Amino acid sequence: MTSPKDTPEATAETDADATTELGAVAKGEPDAAAMEEDTADFPLAEPALRTTRAGRLEARRPSSRPSRTRLGLNLLSYLVLAAGFVLTVAPFILSVMTAFKTPGQFASEPALNPPSPVTVENFITLFTGERNFWAPIAVTAQLVLVVVVGQLGFSVLAAYAFARIQFRLRDVLFWGYLGTMMVPQVVTVIPLYTIFSQLGLRNTFWALVLPFVFGSPYAIFLLREYFRAIPEDLISAARLDGAGTLRILWSIVIPLSRPILATLTIITVVSHWNNFLWPLIITSGRTWQTVTVATAALQSQYNGNWTLVMAATTIALAPLLVLFAIFQKNIISSIAITGFK
Amino acid sequence: MASRLARREAGIGYLLLTPSLFGILAFLVFPILVVIWLSLNSWDLLSPARFIGLRNFTTVFADPAFLRSMLVTVLFVLMVIPLQTALGLLAAVLLSRGLPGSALLRVVYVIPWICAPLALGVVWKWIFAPTGGALNAVLGGTTPWLSDPLLALPAVATVSIWSQVGYVALFFTAGLAAIPEQVTDAARIDGANAWQVFWQVKLPLLRPTMFFVLVTGIISSFQAFDSIYALTPNGGPQGTTDVIATRIYGEAFQTFNLGRASVMALVLFVVLVAVTLAQQFYFRKRITYDLS
Amino acid sequence: MKGLWRKGAALAAGAASLAMVVTGCSPAAPNGSGNSSGGNVTVTVRLWDDQVQKAYDASFKQFESQNPGITVKTVLEPYSTYFDKLRTDVSGGNADDIFWISGSYFAPYADNENLMAIGSDFDSEKAGWVPAAVDQYTRNGKLWGVPQLTDGGIAVYYNKDMLAKAGVDPANLSWNPADPSKDTFLKAAQKLTLDAKGHTADDPAFDPNHIVQYGFNASQDLQAIYYNFIGSNGGAFQDGENFVFASDKSAQAIQYIVDLINKYHVSPSAADTNDNGDFMRDAFIQGKVAMFESGTYNLKNVSDGAKFGWSIAPMPAGPDGRVSVVNNIIAAGNAKTAHKDATTKVLQWLGSADGARFIGSEGAAVPAVTAAQSSYNEYWKSQNVDASQFAKAAQGKTIGAPIGSNYGAAFNAWKPIFNEIFLGRTPVKEGLQKAQDAANAAMKQ
Repeated sequence: MTSPKDTPEATAETDADATTELGAVAKGEPDAAAMEEDTADFPLAEPALRTTRAGRLEARRPSSRPSRTRLGLNLLSYLVLAAGFVLTVAPFILSVMTAFKTPGQFASEPALNPPSPVTVENFITLFTGERNFWAPIAVTAQLVLVVVVGQLGFSVLAAYAFARIQFRLRDVLFWGYLGTMMVPQVVTVIPLYTIFSQLGLRNTFWALVLPFVFGSPYAIFLLREYFRAIPEDLISAARLDGAGTLRILWSIVIPLSRPILATLTIITVVSHWNNFLWPLIITSGRTWQTVTVATAALQSQYNGNWTLVMAATTIALAPLLVLFAIFQKNIISSIAITGFK
Repeated sequence: MASRLARREAGIGYLLLTPSLFGILAFLVFPILVVIWLSLNSWDLLSPARFIGLRNFTTVFADPAFLRSMLVTVLFVLMVIPLQTALGLLAAVLLSRGLPGSALLRVVYVIPWICAPLALGVVWKWIFAPTGGALNAVLGGTTPWLSDPLLALPAVATVSIWSQVGYVALFFTAGLAAIPEQVTDAARIDGANAWQVFWQVKLPLLRPTMFFVLVTGIISSFQAFDSIYALTPNGGPQGTTDVIATRIYGEAFQTFNLGRASVMALVLFVVLVAVTLAQQFYFRKRITYDLS
Repeated sequence: MKGLWRKGAALAAGAASLAMVVTGCSPAAPNGSGNSSGGNVTVTVRLWDDQVQKAYDASFKQFESQNPGITVKTVLEPYSTYFDKLRTDVSGGNADDIFWISGSYFAPYADNENLMAIGSDFDSEKAGWVPAAVDQYTRNGKLWGVPQLTDGGIAVYYNKDMLAKAGVDPANLSWNPADPSKDTFLKAAQKLTLDAKGHTADDPAFDPNHIVQYGFNASQDLQAIYYNFIGSNGGAFQDGENFVFASDKSAQAIQYIVDLINKYHVSPSAADTNDNGDFMRDAFIQGKVAMFESGTYNLKNVSDGAKFGWSIAPMPAGPDGRVSVVNNIIAAGNAKTAHKDATTKVLQWLGSADGARFIGSEGAAVPAVTAAQSSYNEYWKSQNVDASQFAKAAQGKTIGAPIGSNYGAAFNAWKPIFNEIFLGRTPVKEGLQKAQDAANAAMKQ
């Protein structure tokens, strides 16, 4: 446990424009881990920390309110958070419980009964035998990887162009991009299916990937907001040093946007991992089945097979949770620039 | 000299746009053009498409079920967006205070959003079931949550809010984390209490995040489909949960009347454009970016 | 710092290109090429039932040994999305060579000539097919597929203990909407419905808010309940493609069912059953329902799940006797198949007693080829279940399953209104009229 040091903060940026810059630029954000360590030592102390890329400095701001109110507020916060926790988790407990029940118990007892005996047979079924989940997981993982790499890369390029480069059709094109988000997927799926069918790409890996890999209006929208908020001074300073537009993108904008890139990565992974309608329509049979389609396929005409479906859902959830747990630190952690050198 | 640089800049701008432009033109714009063409035809996928001009438009606008579904959708959005934004903001604020366990809670709150809708729909059906459902087991009685015309839409909206709060909190967390410490400290030194710090310092600084969350939230809740369909597959009691997305799905994949489905999709599109423009107007005046 | 970023960039670019090159592999990819390797033709068969798929795989092994040069592959598509995908795939020219269709959905495919007509090549086999199936799928004078499964008729699963305790004999119950004195069924159902204190439903002290056991499964179930009640009352559901369920006898039957639920409380509230097809079956298997009217499609579920003694009785007879709906599934040939001859051969195999025998041998379903049905009965006999009631019902009076070129649209039009009728919020006659009008309008679109 590190003990807090009462060092004066080492201001990372040189501009006094910090007070006028608005937006989600990553500057001086508290480090979650450091906060937790600190509050473990000093639970009533107000966390006011910052870190720099070079190392960790902690500064303590004097608390401006009496500790009893602080305690009260903390307790209230915990109560609210705990209520939220229960409400969030309760349906999942039901779902996970069902995954550990035998199909026989599920059929013959009410859904709310706890599993007895607790069994892993559903999970075993999902990983052995002909209809196992290895293939769907492999397929989905690959498609998510390709889509994330491509979509993020190309969206960053486009968002940067929209945010910081002047060109004539800029606003028109941006609103055009945004507009494509406003047509429901349910109707665009059919023309898209026809395109891929005519190209002979039906039921292939590329059909799963191509519509998304070139960038997404949502990602471009999100990144553009954040890129716009990057302080102009940093950019001008870089230009004065002779950096070109692309260099600025690479060396300034992207490093500063790590939190939002981490957020976007998670969002993209989750939405493509859970994508259902398109993979359903464009693939057929077992070869290119994704996890969502394979889960739906567990159901038969007269039987929901809910124990299997819940087990499959739990399995599908696990990698996403792990990913999120890893990435969320990136979202919160701070990057401060020590001035452009 | 300056204009040459400007033109080179513009050139780079267009170059950077090329891959995404290709993708969007090929896989989004082109299908949308097909949808527009389909709206003027009658097509059921099996027989050849027949051109019928604007007849789809007249039948759709004269269809009381369609008009009702627009109303239901607006009600749904009004129920969902304010609550999910407020709760997401609340969660983000509470989780940014550095209380122990915040990291774990952040992960937990996001679970509903990460989970695929198929299973969630069914679990909530079990929760809302009149006989033997979890909610009635806790509250007592046999209230038919999903069969009562007054309760069905709030029930469905609750599920939607429940699954989105963590996701909204994600953005607000990033937004809050980006607020420079000096700003809040300066305010505190000036004598502001926590409440004022929040309302007059933090919230305005969150406007870009708020703008993004509201715009994308409204766009996606106007198109909400999965959980609503799973909970009330036939439009709910007396059509009270028949949102426009379920209507479009029904026309496209159950009635196989793609012409009418396309018209409905276009109407939805126009509504969303209008709503987004309105938000743009409201926010743009109030957000300043440091752009030169 | 910059160096670090450059390295990171190189790494990212390398990973990206590697990803593009290496990915696109599926562990489930079929070995070898699919088609025509040295004169070998592959015929694909699409279906939605995984039990029958296993049966087909065994069946096709035998076929392949008798027909070298033809390989048959089965493709399973989940039922919930089967017809959406079928429509888009047929539209895009990507459908499999043979695919299952069910009665309510096949009309548009037949009308648009997407299916291979079953012509003279099959004359020798036709006699061996269930006549109701041949009728159901004959349209515009042609038969459009080879009957594969028949649901048999509808019968009543019952809980032996409950009936013994109440002294009810299920074998000869009859119901009558006009004359209560002739209605032995209602009395039996009431005796079998118990509240928490043990009062039966015909007892004035009966408490409808605390029912622990239901006598019957009256609900908005087309195939298992209301279609048959309508038929047994001498009413009709459709006249050709025109819906007539608001006619007097049909409305009377529906009123009877709604009364069972809302007036006599022998069945749970429609709030539980309207949108949950599993509810009654689960309740029966959990031992909460005495009589459960259903079809062969639940035989496996009941047999696997019920922990009590149960048996099967004929359905209650209405004023017009016992009239049951018999639904069938066909395997249709894709009119646009690239291998017409091979597809025809596979279809002939599926329509033969030898080929269809496999379907019944694991108790999965009743083959629609009559000579092959013994395998089904034998399987269930070996499980100590007498499934003969379903076959008996199919051989008695039957009412044709619903059909129509726009059946899906019509169903979606009447279902919400039926929901309100069964909940008791809309009067039966008025609601049925509204539903009928809506269904007919949707059908004509």
